[in-house]
Amino acid sequence: MDSKAPDLAVRHLSVRYGEQVALSDVSLDLEGGQVLALIGPSGCGKSTFLRVLNRLVDRSLEVRYEGEVVLGGIRILDPDTDLVALRRAVGMVFQQPSAFPFSVFDNVAYGPRLQGIRSSHRLRSIVESSLKKAALWDEVRGKLRRPAASLSGGQQQRLCIARALAVAPRVLLLDEPTAALDPLSTTKIEELILSLRGDYTLILVTHNLQQAARISDVTAFFRQGLLVEIAPTREMFTAPKCAETEEFLTGRYE
Amino acid sequence: MKPVTGRPRGDHLLYRVVWLGALLLLMLGFAIAAILVWGTVKFVIDHGLNPSLLGTIYQPTHDQFGLLPFIAGSLVVTMIAIVVALPLALSVAVTVIATLPRQMQMIRQILSGLVAIPSVVFGWWGLSLLVPSIRWISGRPGFSLLAGGLVLAIMILPTLSLLSINALDRVSVRWVEGSLALGATPDQTLGRLILSVSRIPLLEASILAVGRALGETMAVQMVIGGRVLLPHGLLSPGATLTTQLLTDISLLPPGIPGHYVLDFMALLLLVAMYGMVVLVERTRRWSL
Repeated sequence: MDSKAPDLAVRHLSVRYGEQVALSDVSLDLEGGQVLALIGPSGCGKSTFLRVLNRLVDRSLEVRYEGEVVLGGIRILDPDTDLVALRRAVGMVFQQPSAFPFSVFDNVAYGPRLQGIRSSHRLRSIVESSLKKAALWDEVRGKLRRPAASLSGGQQQRLCIARALAVAPRVLLLDEPTAALDPLSTTKIEELILSLRGDYTLILVTHNLQQAARISDVTAFFRQGLLVEIAPTREMFTAPKCAETEEFLTGRYE
Repeated sequence: MKPVTGRPRGDHLLYRVVWLGALLLLMLGFAIAAILVWGTVKFVIDHGLNPSLLGTIYQPTHDQFGLLPFIAGSLVVTMIAIVVALPLALSVAVTVIATLPRQMQMIRQILSGLVAIPSVVFGWWGLSLLVPSIRWISGRPGFSLLAGGLVLAIMILPTLSLLSINALDRVSVRWVEGSLALGATPDQTLGRLILSVSRIPLLEASILAVGRALGETMAVQMVIGGRVLLPHGLLSPGATLTTQLLTDISLLPPGIPGHYVLDFMALLLLVAMYGMVVLVERTRRWSL
């Protein structure tokens, strides 16, 4: 993969859990380095879409998918795709902070250690630069040996972002990263996402429409497994093409 | 308005009854300990601080109270049991968690059923299968510390498996997915995350299992051979504190000189078991 953040191309993606259709014939394109926000009511397939992109969806029971998803040259749905390589390239941050019950340092060093990096000097520098990128360094320097659980919820979420950045991904998947956070921490995460924009391709699931409007370049509206509309965020929020989108954005939906 | 204080009379009756029951149980526990301590005191009165206690010759009717063979026996069979059972139990737990999560409830039920098997059945199994096998392989009598340890291993395996499943099951899915999402292989996730996070609960489970093995009597008595000499190898017959206690209940009834050594042995076991309980409490505190 080259140094530019990878483009995403999705063609006719369908995902089913047993008989239940989660995504149906979704196609979209995203230019590398942009922020894509996925919005839509609960159960519309946003999270499934995210979990397809790092194939975490494989963990679900009786899951079947078809179509084509290409991310910076990686054909994600290929049966031969190297999941370890894919997941190094595509980091993920979950809704609930999922910091491991280890120290702050060991959380961030977890990924690099998996890759066989042993030198404490290199680990230290990776941990430091990742924490700096995640705008957490100033708050935790000198406390790297403390348990991650001693951090606040917002700090833990930024720690999870630092942990994801430590394996040098090109893409970040964010599954409602601020849903469990207070407004101040939310602002910090949003600023962080904006600062990562350009270097990384970011795909964000959010229930917060203002958040989508504030920080995304492109917004995609899902409903019942279908991609209803995808458009540059400003267009989408000022002049949506579909009546359904407009209903959802103005809160008249459901 | 008059402030409401207290509760209507009689409202505490049930609590008092329950409290009495709890008190009774507590007193019973103390009574057992007190009786053993009293017996030990009597032993000291009868025989002084007998130096033979630390020896290897056990002839209680002749003032020789060497307990070392039994302490060694107890330690060795318990060690065999835990060393054999722990890896097997971990294998069961990892298999259930990683590859059979949907069958977990059923497997838990089966294991609980196995836990309920009386220990004498395990002893019988050891007697009819293990002892002849060891005899056939080694050419020795077959009744041995090894047989005792293996019977105990099989006996604690269901308990230890259940506790290990519970320990691994407590590892959050969020952590597991977080690890996988960082590019960890399933093996790396197991080793660096799941087992690492569960090590304190697993240690706790092992201590409980050791306690169970240390206290077991019947199953061991049936296969260990009951020899009172210091064993010189896993294949030699021996005895443990518990099995010797069982043997001597009929051989040293109250009134016979040396009877009180049994109180001392029982007290030793009690203290060891209590030590296990304290250890479990300690590990729990570490894990917080």
